[in-house]
Amino acid sequence: MITHTPTLRSHLAVTMASAKMRLITITRYPGQLFTDIIIPIVLAAMPILLGRASAGPDAAAIFKENTGTENYVAYMLIGASVFSMVSYAFWHVAYWLRWEMETGTLESLYLTPTSRLWVAAGTALYSMIRSIFSAFISYFIGSWILGSDPFQGELLLAFSFILVGMIPLYGMTLLFGAVILKLKEANALINLMQWGVNLLMGVFFPITVLPPLVRIFALLFPPTWMTNGVRSALLGIGFFFGEWYLDLAVLWVFLIIAPLFGYWVFTKVEHGVRKNEGVGQF
Amino acid sequence: MNRVNGANSAVLVQNLSKTYITKQRKGIFKSEKREVEALQGVSLEVKPGEIFGLLGPNGAGKTTLIKILTTLLLPTGGDAWLNGYHIEKDANKVRANVGCMLMGERGLYWKLTARENLMYFGALYHLTPQARVRRTNEIIDLLNMGDIADRTVETYSSGQKMNLAFGKSLINDAPLLVLDEPTNTLDVPSASELRAIVRQLNAQGKTIIYTTHIMAEAETLCRRVAIIDHGKLLAMGPVSELKASLGKDQVTRIEGVISSKATDAIRALSMVRQATLSAMDGASQLTIVTSNGTNTLPRLIETLTQHGATIQKIIPEDVTLEDVFIAKTGRTLAEDTWAK
Repeated sequence: MITHTPTLRSHLAVTMASAKMRLITITRYPGQLFTDIIIPIVLAAMPILLGRASAGPDAAAIFKENTGTENYVAYMLIGASVFSMVSYAFWHVAYWLRWEMETGTLESLYLTPTSRLWVAAGTALYSMIRSIFSAFISYFIGSWILGSDPFQGELLLAFSFILVGMIPLYGMTLLFGAVILKLKEANALINLMQWGVNLLMGVFFPITVLPPLVRIFALLFPPTWMTNGVRSALLGIGFFFGEWYLDLAVLWVFLIIAPLFGYWVFTKVEHGVRKNEGVGQF
Repeated sequence: MNRVNGANSAVLVQNLSKTYITKQRKGIFKSEKREVEALQGVSLEVKPGEIFGLLGPNGAGKTTLIKILTTLLLPTGGDAWLNGYHIEKDANKVRANVGCMLMGERGLYWKLTARENLMYFGALYHLTPQARVRRTNEIIDLLNMGDIADRTVETYSSGQKMNLAFGKSLINDAPLLVLDEPTNTLDVPSASELRAIVRQLNAQGKTIIYTTHIMAEAETLCRRVAIIDHGKLLAMGPVSELKASLGKDQVTRIEGVISSKATDAIRALSMVRQATLSAMDGASQLTIVTSNGTNTLPRLIETLTQHGATIQKIIPEDVTLEDVFIAKTGRTLAEDTWAK
C-alpha cells in the first residue's frame, strides 16, 4: 500500500515538472515564440506612428505635458510589453484548465494526489519565464527599430516591479480561471478581460486621463501599478505615491491578497464542479 | 484518515448514488433543468487481489461509478472506501493508491513523447526523480514501446496511444488498478497482449477493476463481475455462479428472418424463460433461454416456421455472461450499446 506523504520538496518537484512540461511543449511551436516577440512591437508601433502622423513635430512636447516624458516610443513600448505579459498570464494560466479540459488531460491531472495549486504554480512559472523573456526581447528590438534607448533609467528597479507585480497578476488569473472552469467560456471571457485590463492599466496613456470612477477601479489592478512602476523607473514619469518603495509596497499587498483570494475562489468552484458534472465535461 | 470501514476490502461501496443536474435546451435562450439519476444505491465489494469486472452498456453508470471511486466526481449519497481510505475524506490517499486508465488516449499530452508523459505523471504522483526514471523505463519495457518512446504522442497510432494510456496508469505502481474499457480501439493481438499484462499484474498482487461492454473479455479475465444498468446493480458474483444462476437452462441462438410476431409466439411457450430478438448483419438473431434445450428444439422450430420465420442457422450454446445480461435486462448488450 502506498502511504501518501508528499513533502515540500515533492510539491516543488511538481511545480518544476509542470513548468518544464509546458516549456518543452512550447519549444515544439517555434512560430508561437516568434509571434510573442513581434506582437508587442506591432502593438506599440501603431500609436507611435499615429502620434507622429497626427501631432507632427510637436508630438514629443505635447506628450510630455500629459505623461511626464517626451520619450513616447519607450512609453508605448513599455506599455505594450507589460500588456503582453498580462495578456499571456491570462492566456497561459486562466486558460490553462480550459486547455487541459479540451485536450482531455484535466481528468488525468485530477487523478493524481497532487494539489492543483502546485501545478498552477508551475504553469505560472512557465508563463513568467516565457512572457518576461519575450517582453524583454521585444522591448529591446522595438527600441532599436523605433529609435529609443533601451538602457535608460533604473533597469533593476523596473525589473523588481515586474517580478513583484507578476505574482498578484497570477493570483488574479487563477480567480479568472475558476470562473472559466465554471462557465466554460474561455475565449470570450479572456478576450473581454484582457482588453478591459488594457484600458485600465493605461497601456498607451496615463490613467489620469480616465474618468475619476474608472481611475479608482484601475488602481485596484496590480498591472496598473506594474506599468506605472516600470515607466517611472525607466522614464522618470513619477510614482503614484511619489516614492518607488511606496508603490512597490502596494504591489506587495496585492501579492499577499490576490493569490490567496484566487486560490480560495478556485477551490470553491472546483468543489462545485466535482459535485455536479465533473472536471472532464466541457 | 478514515480506515474503519473497508479496511479489509480493496473497494467497498455502500449505497452510492449520483444525480446529475442537466440542462435540456428548449430553444436558443431557454433551457430546463432536469435531474438524471446516474447511480441508484449501488453497493459492492472488491476483494484484494482479484480482477473484478464491471459490466454494462454505454450509459449504464459504469464510468460515473469509476469517476466517483477515483475522486473525480462527488457522490450525491452513500460512501465508498478504496484500500480503506474514504473517497471524500482521504481523497489524496485514494488517488495515491489507484492507477487509473479512464479516458483512453485523450488523457495524454500529445506534444510530449511517451517518456516525457510518464516522467511528468511520475512527478505528479510524487515519485522521486530516480523512481520516475526507473518506473518509466520499466513501463516502456513492459509495453514493448522502446522504439517509439522518444517520439511525440501525436505521431502514434490509436492503439499505441491506448497502450501508453495504460502505461500511464502504472506509473505510481498502485495496488489498485482501475481500467475503463482499456482494449477500446486496440486490434485483436494488441488487446490480447494487454489482457496478458493485466493477468500478469494481477498475479503480482494488484487488484484490478476492469470495465467493459465486451462480455467475452470479462469472462476470460474476471473471476467476479457486477452487471450494472440504468444506474442500478443488477447482479454481482463469481462468473461461474452468475452463469449457474440461470439453472440448467440451455441457450439457443436462431438466425434468420424472424418477425416480432414469431418471437411473441416463442415467448408464449411454457418452457421458454427468455426470448430476445436482435438485428444482426441485416438478419435477425433470436436468443432463446429454455429450461430444457435439446428436447424443445423441434417445438421452437415448428413454432417459428408456423409464424412465417425463415431459419438460416441454429446454434445451441453454453450459457455465457451475455446470456446472464440478457436474462437480467431483457436486452442484448451489443444491441443496447449500439442503440446509444
